[in-house]
Amino acid sequence: MKNRSAKTRISTRALLVSAAFGAALLSGASTVSAETLTVWSGYPEMAPFYEHVAQGMKAAYPKLEVKVEAIALREHEKRVALGLTGGQDGTTVIELSGSTATRYLENDLLPEAPADISTFVKDPKNFDKFFSDTAGQGGKIYGVPLFRGQGALYYNTDMFKAAGLTAAPKTMEEYSTYAEKLTKRDASGKATVSGWSMRLSGGGQGIAEKFWINMHQYGGAILVPAGEGKWKPNFANEAGRKALKQYLTNIFTTKTVTPEMPADADAFERGQTAMFIRESWVIGDIAKKAPDLKYATAPLPKGSIALPTNLYVAGKGADAKVGWEFAKAANSPDNLVWLLQNVGWLPNRSGVDYSAVTSKQPAFAAFVDYPKGYEFFTLPSIGPIEEILTRVAAQLVAAFGDASLAGDDAKIDAFLKKASDEVNTILAREGLAAK
Amino acid sequence: MLKRKRWIFAILAILPTLAVFAYVRLYPIADTLRLSLFKWDILSKNKPFVGLANFRELMGDHLFIDALVNTTIIAFGVLILTIPMALIIAALIFHRTRSRMAGFYETAIFIPHVVSLVPAAMAWKWIFDARLGPLNALLTFFGIPAQSWLFDPVLSVICIIVLCSWQALGYAVLIYIVGFKNLPVSLYEAAKLDGASGPQSFWYLSIPMLKPITLYVSVVTLVSGFNVYAQAFVLASDAQGAPGRQVRVLVLDMLENSFRNYRVGYAASEAVVLLVIVLGLTLIQFSTLRERGKA
Repeated sequence: MKNRSAKTRISTRALLVSAAFGAALLSGASTVSAETLTVWSGYPEMAPFYEHVAQGMKAAYPKLEVKVEAIALREHEKRVALGLTGGQDGTTVIELSGSTATRYLENDLLPEAPADISTFVKDPKNFDKFFSDTAGQGGKIYGVPLFRGQGALYYNTDMFKAAGLTAAPKTMEEYSTYAEKLTKRDASGKATVSGWSMRLSGGGQGIAEKFWINMHQYGGAILVPAGEGKWKPNFANEAGRKALKQYLTNIFTTKTVTPEMPADADAFERGQTAMFIRESWVIGDIAKKAPDLKYATAPLPKGSIALPTNLYVAGKGADAKVGWEFAKAANSPDNLVWLLQNVGWLPNRSGVDYSAVTSKQPAFAAFVDYPKGYEFFTLPSIGPIEEILTRVAAQLVAAFGDASLAGDDAKIDAFLKKASDEVNTILAREGLAAK
Repeated sequence: MLKRKRWIFAILAILPTLAVFAYVRLYPIADTLRLSLFKWDILSKNKPFVGLANFRELMGDHLFIDALVNTTIIAFGVLILTIPMALIIAALIFHRTRSRMAGFYETAIFIPHVVSLVPAAMAWKWIFDARLGPLNALLTFFGIPAQSWLFDPVLSVICIIVLCSWQALGYAVLIYIVGFKNLPVSLYEAAKLDGASGPQSFWYLSIPMLKPITLYVSVVTLVSGFNVYAQAFVLASDAQGAPGRQVRVLVLDMLENSFRNYRVGYAASEAVVLLVIVLGLTLIQFSTLRERGKA
């Protein structure tokens, strides 16, 4: 009996010790999770920026652990979709474009920002309405604007000099004539260096976005708002014909570029193309990969795409507070100057003096000092926008390989009508088509 | 009583395997069938039942039709290229190299089958590269114009067929060699005494007797052909300089609809169509080869 009692006491003590140990562990875990942040980014080049922001928060949050997970954009989008629908553990700061975030907001998968953050974002001294609108929905704020993708022309100044060109093209017609002059060819006349690298191949929506940028110069758009939350395509028209015709002329008539040629930033950095249109991150990329490249940038003839990216916070209660603090800290003037200087993405916050960066790197001027009346457009914040762009891209890739379209306006119009009808079908399916 | 105990033992022994099979194979198939009848969006809270609407939409979806046509061409292309080549190579290895070299040849031809898909596809992507690839270098050496292998949609499909056949060949050869080893030697000796030549023995004895092997290899090759994904993805999509969505295959289309457009129900209906096609073709293959076997 005595033994049994002793055993019971020992068991009770063991239980109490275990419970205390478990409680200590749990409380420790709770403390850790309160100051452990995960940052999900779709741009690997942004990782050093977020680490820099985390470093700056050390004074206020000495125990803060920030884990930055920056992966390729498409994989990031899949991760966000599965992570948010599957139930996200802990606090995660998520980088998303306003157009992509819409579907999460519509389904209550991302929480509203706390009052102080909402006030910060809504303050016009901090952000233009264009940016605060893309970070919210229905008058509520869900994200903190951070940076944007905005296009400009990059051109190789050595190649321009060799071709007798002294300034950047100012009209779309000049883009084509410049491209002819800048193209280098082998003995058989085949282009070895493209005059103007246009996005002709690949599988993503980038083809459609780049086409939209060029078409914007002619006044067309893949989608335009039609009131009451409805949308309609606006490219089966003269603007669409002019834009597509310009692509086809460059590919099949003047042969300044081919789908097989090296393209985009890599080609520009290697001297395999003389001109191309891209966002400001290329400046940082050139600084790293081709620091001796002689180049300049110029605004586009009429305007550019502007794709704002925001920071959202997945998490609940007090744990999420530090996530919002991180998003706000990322927007401190010092950090934004660091972002522009070291990464090259354009910050969205107003009232920050970037002259220290732009004076050192004149290539930023085309992105910051654009002409008066420069017209920006952005992707509509609708659920099927990526599907629409991907499907238009699929059509465009087929067109870029079809020589019979070049010089045949009727065929071009029929092609544009077919692509436009497909966009309308998707809009109708989602209840977004204008009548 | 003993018989009953054996039955119970047999059922208990097989139960874990059956349970795993049901969980990882049968349940996903059944769930895919269910999902195909819903507008099942990953993000949306509402997932309404839409009946056969997804299937009706599929019939008018040109990307799906393109993917279906491409996949079918690739699957049959691989089948047509692989089976005769595997049969001939297996016969040569079995009959001509009855030495230590046979093992070497078997290993050499089997290696592509065990190489990971993506690195293999990357290597072939370099081979087919229009500017730097050795294939075009070889063509131009013989005065043949260089080709845009990975941009032209027709040539890209041929490239995928070549890559898939290269990978499928080793397995098919190995299975055929096993088949050759099990053929009765006495029949060949009798044929030889009757004056049959080597090719005649191959045509009139080996091929008919290898029909069960051919059936198995052709079913496996066709099914894997319909599941082509990584090869098409690496060779012909997403990267610049590739023909993008022109060389679309079914699995790639499903992936895009599920995880990019979040239309899981719609992607499930594509999976159901793929299942029906593969099942149908397998049954046709079985019935055709069995009928011929009886004849």
